[in-house]
Amino acid sequence: MTAFLAGMALLLVAAASCAAFRRRSFGDGVFTACVIAGAAVASVPAVQVLLGATLPQLRWRAGVPGGDWVLGIDPLSAIFLLAILVVGAASAAFGAAYQARERGHRAVWLSHAAFALVLAAMALVVTARSVLLFLGAWELMALGSYVLIVTEHEHPTVRRAGLIYLVTTHAGTLALLAMFAIWTSGSRDWTFAALAANGPRLALGGGVVLALALVGFGAKAGLVPLHFWLPAAHASAPSHVSALMSGVVIKMGIYGILRVVALLGPPPAWWGWVVLAIGVASAVLGVLWALVQHDVKRLLAYHSVENIGIILIGVGVGALGAASGHPIIAVIGYGAAALHSLNHALFKGALFLAAGAIYRATGTRDLEQLGGLARRMPLTWLGFLVAAVAIIGVPPLNGFVSEWLVFQGLLRAGQSAEALRLVVFAAPALALVGGLALACFAKVAGIVFLGHPRSSQAAEAREAGAGLLAPVLVLAFACVVIGTVPALVMRPVMVVGATVAGEHWVPIAAALSDVFADAGRISWLAIGLLLVGAILWLARRAALRRQVVRTGPTWACGYPHPTPRMQYTASSFAAPLASVFGRLAGVREHRGATVFHSTPVDLVLDAAVLPLWARVERAALRLRPMQQGRLHVYLIYVVVTVVLVLGYLVLAPTR
Amino acid sequence: MLSAILSLALLLMLAPLLPGVAARTRSLLTGRRGPPVHQLYIDLWKLMRRGVVYSETTTPIFRLAPIVVAATVVIAATLVPLDRTSSVLRFSGDAVAFAYLLGLGRFLLVLGALDTGSSFEGMGASREVTFASIVELGLFFAIATLAVATQELSLSGMLGAPLGRHWAQAAPSLVMVALGLFSLLLAECARVPVDDPSTHLELTMIHEVMVLDHGGPDLALLLFAGAAKLAVFSALVVALIVPAPARSLPVALAILVAGTVGVAIAVGVVESATARLRLPTVPLYLAGAAALAGFGLVLVVR
Repeated sequence: MTAFLAGMALLLVAAASCAAFRRRSFGDGVFTACVIAGAAVASVPAVQVLLGATLPQLRWRAGVPGGDWVLGIDPLSAIFLLAILVVGAASAAFGAAYQARERGHRAVWLSHAAFALVLAAMALVVTARSVLLFLGAWELMALGSYVLIVTEHEHPTVRRAGLIYLVTTHAGTLALLAMFAIWTSGSRDWTFAALAANGPRLALGGGVVLALALVGFGAKAGLVPLHFWLPAAHASAPSHVSALMSGVVIKMGIYGILRVVALLGPPPAWWGWVVLAIGVASAVLGVLWALVQHDVKRLLAYHSVENIGIILIGVGVGALGAASGHPIIAVIGYGAAALHSLNHALFKGALFLAAGAIYRATGTRDLEQLGGLARRMPLTWLGFLVAAVAIIGVPPLNGFVSEWLVFQGLLRAGQSAEALRLVVFAAPALALVGGLALACFAKVAGIVFLGHPRSSQAAEAREAGAGLLAPVLVLAFACVVIGTVPALVMRPVMVVGATVAGEHWVPIAAALSDVFADAGRISWLAIGLLLVGAILWLARRAALRRQVVRTGPTWACGYPHPTPRMQYTASSFAAPLASVFGRLAGVREHRGATVFHSTPVDLVLDAAVLPLWARVERAALRLRPMQQGRLHVYLIYVVVTVVLVLGYLVLAPTR
Repeated sequence: MLSAILSLALLLMLAPLLPGVAARTRSLLTGRRGPPVHQLYIDLWKLMRRGVVYSETTTPIFRLAPIVVAATVVIAATLVPLDRTSSVLRFSGDAVAFAYLLGLGRFLLVLGALDTGSSFEGMGASREVTFASIVELGLFFAIATLAVATQELSLSGMLGAPLGRHWAQAAPSLVMVALGLFSLLLAECARVPVDDPSTHLELTMIHEVMVLDHGGPDLALLLFAGAAKLAVFSALVVALIVPAPARSLPVALAILVAGTVGVAIAVGVVESATARLRLPTVPLYLAGAAALAGFGLVLVVR
């Protein structure tokens, strides 16, 4: 725990150094070094815990109500802490290089300081073991994220996205306040240990608490239909902030849900079904809506909704397994959710950072303006390609490992006897999601990096510098490691699953031995692919050795003058799939003799939340006469309120 | 293990025969003679001795794509119990790996197509990913049905020796799964009624148009991968509908050869009996195939 505190201190030093060296160019270097050092030091205890060590909790006697403030790292905290620190450090390093050229006209130091503070706040969120500490860290994270989102506040769209984010996150916090209030009612001790002891006494088996957790933490995680703030916020923030938000901040919602489950014990079955249904809906709708986007970062943000859905499918399987007395299914489900959270942090971080490098090189995020970047930015392309293969969940990268684990849970649940077996119907849905994600990333990778440039900016793009490339490639490399040697992570991940399910590790480990062995066999897929691929490569080279290899123009079926405008566009690529899903796809099409273009709309934000908000605004206008701006009117309000409260206290039945 | 490797080698050597068998069946049924059954071997041999013209637009991924496509099909084949008892590689949930390996190949194939910057190849790529995502849905309905019906998690377990017992118990859903799988095979291997391997109009192609710019050994690899994919899917269908356990390796290999050739003949019969669907109706066809497998799942879960 000392190492953890030292790491946190280094993060605070990083934040302070930004303020101290705000005009010095070496400030960036100090900031980056401090964040990376802090992350490295603080991740030591996380790795220790994941490898089986137990660390003592830290306890302070705080001078505020709610009992002691406690900090602790258990396997559940550790895996999320690791994701925060790895992706956080990579994004911070990227951010320093990314914003260096904005030094002249923007308070870059403020953005960097907020970044370090958000990192520290998130580390605190996953280690806090008492309510006030947790909520304080939660709010610090939420407000810090707001500062980061509105970094480029000169654009009205950014301010609007920030406002929607701010309202939503506080609505979520409100649900969390209600949840903790119900959970702690009648108790003076607000530590998580006391919450766990209080659990069995809650009404409806903790049903209200679980429902509020799903709303409060779900708003942060961005599950459908509470995702509406997410695409705009993640697209408006600078890219390294998007990487942090999409990769890690939304995972705090997942952490919260898992922590509540871990404290309460096996949840009721209905809650598991609700989580599973929301997971399926988020995954399918998220990827569908991603498919019709034209803004690279909005598209990636919708993919976060999809992946949160996949994670929630894991949580739902785990909850249902626990509710029906199948500890193995419970551990696999929760473990799959935790592993996919880590994996998604890695590849989504890499994707957003790569998108940032593209934006720096071309000045646009519009897919229809890009093209042919693979030739101009080969290393960015390499990082993006690896992360794209990872996110579509195909072997031999890490996305496959966690989706494989989710499928394990789904199929094993399907083989059981009780109502639990209906879970198996989520398996085809998850496969559909995989297919759609493949379509979507074929679109992004193909339109952005391949073919001819569609604009002069894309044609003149230059490869990003080492400061932007290194973080992308480091995250992509982590994806490769987990994907090719899944045996490395399988055991720690199952320990996390057992922590959430509240199972004793020793019998679970024995029952899971075949899963460990099978995870090891996944490595053979990578080895086999490499081997067969190498043989085929050599065969091809041998065949071509004596032959003429020429280059020429692309075959355009006899047409002599193809232009870049004739290439397939992002709109046209996604059009067949959008038409399969009809209105659900949320897209407006403009067809003409010479033009085909589609505009995406968010079905929840544009069709439900904003109209509702307009109605609330209209209703609120009626209250306007109360605000006169005159002091004596307000004094009357105060007096009336005091009288009413006193009257209530006098008349209310005494307890 | 050895018998699994032997049958894999046999299947891969036999694979180029199957498109020829299907084409020959189609020709005979429509009153033509058609190319010889071993036409694809001749084509592959010819292509391996040709040079290549690469488009100036393309990047290394265009050269990588054929290799990855072929390698993924081969590795996916190692997961299928070709000798009726075991596969080269086996682990729980390997059915997921099977489907997703083919996904990796498809991803690279589509990227290779988009790499040329040709609108025709973009068109094919767009259609391929559209139809493939619905195929994936149906494939997993089939996998889930088999997993529930057999209480096994690996392809070798599901399609291995004791499948006969499960036919006695869950025949209706296994029939639905077999029919669904066969319908998906037609789509996945680019056959009528989804795609027509012998069409000559680029605007209506799906698979063929994606490989327009490939030539020489690259095209040979892609053609071989297509044939191998047909062979692997045929072997899956055969393993499902011929549940008799094989007493010895020669019998198992004989069933494999006769079965896959039989499936290829069935493909040819379908191709001569039906016309190609209009592209907007293909998703309906695929959804129907998926629903068939889905009803199979409903019956076993019930």
